[in-house]
Amino acid sequence: MTSIQKTRRPGARMHLKREITAYLFIAPNFIGYMVLTFVPIILSFVYSTFDWNLGVYKAYTGIANYRYMFFEDLDFWKVVWNTFYYTIGTVPVCLILSLLLAMLMNQQLKGKTFFRSVFFFPYVASLVAVAVVWMALFNPDKGPVNEILMSLGISDPPRWAGSAEWAMPTIIGLTIWKQAGYYMVVYLAALQGVPTELYEAARMDGANAFQRFAHVTWPMVTPTTFFVTMMLIIGTFKSYDIMYVTTQGGPGVATKVLAYHIYNNAFVYNKYGYASALSVFLFAVVLVITLIQFRGEKRFTNYL
Amino acid sequence: MKLTRKLALVLTVALLATMFAFAPAMAEDVTIRVALWDYSNTEYYKTMINGFKEANPGIDVEIIEFSAAEYSDTIVVKMAAKEDYDVIFMKGLPEMAALINQGNLMPLDELAEGYDFTPYGGTEKSLTVDGVLYGMPFRKDNNLIFYNKDLFDKAGVDYPTDGMTFDEYLDLAREMTSGEGASKVYGTHVHTWASNVYQYARFSEEYVYNDASTWKNLIPYYEGILALQEEGCVQDFGALKSGNIHYSGVFYKQEAAMMQIGTWYINMLLENVPNEDNGIASFNWGVCSMPNNYGITTENVVGGITPVSVGAYAKHPEEAWKFLAYITGAEGAQILAKTGIVPAWAGQEVLDIFDHFRDDHPNAPEGLSKYISGSNFIIEQPMDANGKAIAAVGDEMHSAIMTGAMGIEEAIAEYSAKAIAAGASEGE
Repeated sequence: MTSIQKTRRPGARMHLKREITAYLFIAPNFIGYMVLTFVPIILSFVYSTFDWNLGVYKAYTGIANYRYMFFEDLDFWKVVWNTFYYTIGTVPVCLILSLLLAMLMNQQLKGKTFFRSVFFFPYVASLVAVAVVWMALFNPDKGPVNEILMSLGISDPPRWAGSAEWAMPTIIGLTIWKQAGYYMVVYLAALQGVPTELYEAARMDGANAFQRFAHVTWPMVTPTTFFVTMMLIIGTFKSYDIMYVTTQGGPGVATKVLAYHIYNNAFVYNKYGYASALSVFLFAVVLVITLIQFRGEKRFTNYL
Repeated sequence: MKLTRKLALVLTVALLATMFAFAPAMAEDVTIRVALWDYSNTEYYKTMINGFKEANPGIDVEIIEFSAAEYSDTIVVKMAAKEDYDVIFMKGLPEMAALINQGNLMPLDELAEGYDFTPYGGTEKSLTVDGVLYGMPFRKDNNLIFYNKDLFDKAGVDYPTDGMTFDEYLDLAREMTSGEGASKVYGTHVHTWASNVYQYARFSEEYVYNDASTWKNLIPYYEGILALQEEGCVQDFGALKSGNIHYSGVFYKQEAAMMQIGTWYINMLLENVPNEDNGIASFNWGVCSMPNNYGITTENVVGGITPVSVGAYAKHPEEAWKFLAYITGAEGAQILAKTGIVPAWAGQEVLDIFDHFRDDHPNAPEGLSKYISGSNFIIEQPMDANGKAIAAVGDEMHSAIMTGAMGIEEAIAEYSAKAIAAGASEGE
């Protein structure tokens, strides 16, 4: 026994040493994450049970914030609806568009690099700049989009961000324009990873273009599709910046989403307790959706 | 080895010596930290601070500048983190109320003992809560109708007059609308802020934002402005909002004959009309008081107060008070007034400056002082602990009505309920 222990010790020490080294490498990022992300998340759970204006006044109120949220907040359900509207409007279109663009850019096309850069550009450009351009294009009175529509004979084109019905579609369009280029690149990487032998084999078996897509391309990029879907859903659920720089949630509350409601309650109304409760709700929604997606992942994706 | 040791010794002694040499000078000087926005591009701040430093040797001023758009929200969060700002500028009363509510502003009653408040015309009273003074009135701005005299002359229409009715004002806007396309002149300009409508009702004290029962009194004003919008006599709200169009350019470029906006626009007009480099031609402009149906002229003024306060965690409150007294007092007020900004301190010197802008600015009207010195200063948004939240509800309602997303009465019913939920009173 003793001899074994003696012989094991140096190895164990070495192992410990190695572990410490590994932890030290993780430490800078991990400490930052703990202090700046994890602890605030836990704290927001705690604050969600307080009535707190960020000042000296703070009172424990139990579930009062949640009761207010579900039953009394006159904007809450509208805001939740807007959030889902925004997500459901954005995710599928952005997904399909970026896959189509990627497939197009994956062809032997003249000026391919140029087009890739063009599509990627909105993603690199600052949100504010992109938003200003988009809003100018869709200006209800003087915008080129409506001028084209009018010259095509549509006498009463949509008033875009200037109307409650069209404000959200306008913002969805802006989001897709800004994001599609990025996901195109992600898909492009996936497409280039599809072995050419598979296409050759499919061709030999007489598969047409659509069949090649349905039976080779699509199954091969499912892990990417899963990743893109998840990123898009999480991204759209927590986005408020895009509304902040375009419509400020208006007209009325037509484009006010959950994250915007949280921002307003925290930084404009100074109701930090209630804002924390709202963010706990947002957290729960995103968590549930992500769990469902992970469940679906196993059935849906093919990993080679 | 010996050499390095010697060198180290010499260096240490030298270092210590310089520290002691500077120490006495540092002990005398006090640096106050001042939080504000737009410092870099606002000349009068620099003039004032230089003046203050000359008058108070030994007090230095450190500027902490924030972006203008988010200042109201930023300063509240910063103060919640107990920043030791000595002097805090604020944009208006809603954020001041939030800061007081959090206990982050210092009561000034002790510091201000014996101070003469007469020239402030009572505006300082709007900065008190339960009789405790929390800030000094720095600027005051009241809303006026600005008009382009040249456009009126060209159309052969009489200038708008003090005390005209709201309907007369609407008709005047219709009369002054002319042209098509790029050369179109709109009768008046309604900027996208809620105050560009509610200010008419506030002027005659029919409406106040934190009493939801008064919101229904906005109906005729919304009806009037929406009618103008439908008839094409004012630019469309949705287009202005989408295009992020600043009101100043619309009036500079003579695209509108009139515009209801605050007195800070006097400063902008003095500085920018004419300005050949920016393509702004020379035109004569004038002002008149807000239209209303009660025959009120210049005795009422409606607008906001820009307060400045001492932070609750100030390290040098005495010096901060000196700074407040300087910038909001006679010296600061005259520096402000010379730029066309209305100071809250309204002594005769200030009124004289406003009456004589025409001497150096031939486009300006004479006798501006009567438009900034009404005896009844109506605070646009009086102090309310829930002010920011209620004001936000009002803004949402404004965009819902102006874009036609909701009917006026329907919107007022729904949003006044939201205002009550946000903390507005239900009235009698």
